[in-house]
Amino acid sequence: MNLFQALLIALLGYLSSIYSPWLSLGGWYTIGRPLVAGFLIGLILGDVQQGIILGAAVQALYIGLVTPGGSMPADVNFAAWIGIPLTMVAGQDANFAVALSVPFSFLGVAAVYSVVSFNTLFVHQQDKFIEEGQLEKAVRIPVVGQISNFVVRFVPTFLCIYLGQDFAIAFAQSIPEWLGGVLFTFGSLLPLIGFAILLNYVAKKTTDLTFYLVGFVLAASLGLGIVPVLVFALLLAYMDFRYGKDDNREVA
Amino acid sequence: MADNNQTERLLSKKDVFRCYRSWLLWNLSVQNMERMQGPAIVRMLGMVMDKLYPGDREKQKELLERHEPFFNTEPYLGCIVPGVVLGMEEENARSGGVPGELINGVKTALMGPFAGIGDSLYVGTLIPILLSIALGISGESGSVAGPIFYIIAHLAIMIPVTWFMFYRGYTMGIDSAQTILAGGMKDRLTRAINIVGLVVVGCITAQYVNVRTGWVFTSGDMVVDLNSALNGVFPNMITLILALGTYWLMAKKKQGIGKMFLIFFVFALVAYFTKFIA
Repeated sequence: MNLFQALLIALLGYLSSIYSPWLSLGGWYTIGRPLVAGFLIGLILGDVQQGIILGAAVQALYIGLVTPGGSMPADVNFAAWIGIPLTMVAGQDANFAVALSVPFSFLGVAAVYSVVSFNTLFVHQQDKFIEEGQLEKAVRIPVVGQISNFVVRFVPTFLCIYLGQDFAIAFAQSIPEWLGGVLFTFGSLLPLIGFAILLNYVAKKTTDLTFYLVGFVLAASLGLGIVPVLVFALLLAYMDFRYGKDDNREVA
Repeated sequence: MADNNQTERLLSKKDVFRCYRSWLLWNLSVQNMERMQGPAIVRMLGMVMDKLYPGDREKQKELLERHEPFFNTEPYLGCIVPGVVLGMEEENARSGGVPGELINGVKTALMGPFAGIGDSLYVGTLIPILLSIALGISGESGSVAGPIFYIIAHLAIMIPVTWFMFYRGYTMGIDSAQTILAGGMKDRLTRAINIVGLVVVGCITAQYVNVRTGWVFTSGDMVVDLNSALNGVFPNMITLILALGTYWLMAKKKQGIGKMFLIFFVFALVAYFTKFIA
């Protein structure tokens, strides 16, 4: 494929990644779906029908994929936007596309975890701006902070599809396993910081932690989902509201 | 009946739409493992901070500061939550006296459930259904009708739905804030909402984080898998210990976020190599 096609595909691939803001609903959940991605890639490379067929095959693999709470078990973005163009250029069939999508989906997961880890720097900067009263700069952080996602999506996608299959596969396997492992561990622990901040906000006295434990136990021991837990939480809140002793009661 | 007279409102419908658009675009733009969508809430409120507190930099700063903490939900069906936040903050700006804790408590209490609802109803049901139909249309033939159907159906459904959710959240936020202020039971309600928030945070801690240890003790023929042993006592115990430890470091020992970041990274490094965490 020529340079222009590669750039355009890489650009669309970037726009359809989960953290890309520009297309909103039209991004990750629309052109980010492998079926639609295949359609667009087919358009760019001049064979719409093949693109759709390949897209459909990859889509079938990931049709029920959900990413709750920011977890990302597999990344359909690289799977589709690198896997499908490479398949079309190689003149291969749907099975090839599906096979390619697997290693690239893992590469995508690594990309996602590195972005969400790195972006905490932007968040701290936003805190600092607010503290210093530079409110407009703080408000701009989500815009500025998009750069990390751009680099991590556009560059690998472009390089992989422009430099071809051999480069792409070598790249996918180049991340040392230990670094991936450490990043994964680190990324899976990080929410604890956020939760601790939140907990700090809502917990007024140490005894409040009892409620926190109750929530934890309901999810961890009983395996309850968030909505049942919420019902229980509302019950506890109601009981406290109705029957609780106030430390400083407002005369109603 | 709550007073919703448009002429008394600080924000016009256009302002509300601006916030809606801001949220729809930027909700995940700087997604991060620490506060997740927090910065996007800050940005959204920044869109109208001049309308809420004209000329009052101090109050504007407090407004943004209030929403620095962790926030995460399914961004599209869950956009009702930023709507509620907007409504409550507007009422707070208009009449004063809606405690920041109450707003944050409501925000926290709602984000988990709507994450669940959004992920299951929208991402886990609507999208696969539309995709199945599209695949049925063009799976074998490669017909363009499939993807085009999906694009149109998906957007035609979700654009109105998200606006509806956001605007409903906004009006509900105003109504509930006014009811609370009128009733004068602010403190008790804040406490009650706090309880909901505490339980919800406990629940999502258990759901989002699941630390397994890879340590296995062998002694002759006896093999003790530390993970199953601990989980037998208390499921997901390691996560709970780490979570409480993190809270203790930050709340009692006043460790800053940057320091925690470093501590966590070193811990992750060591834990990975010693297989303490698998």
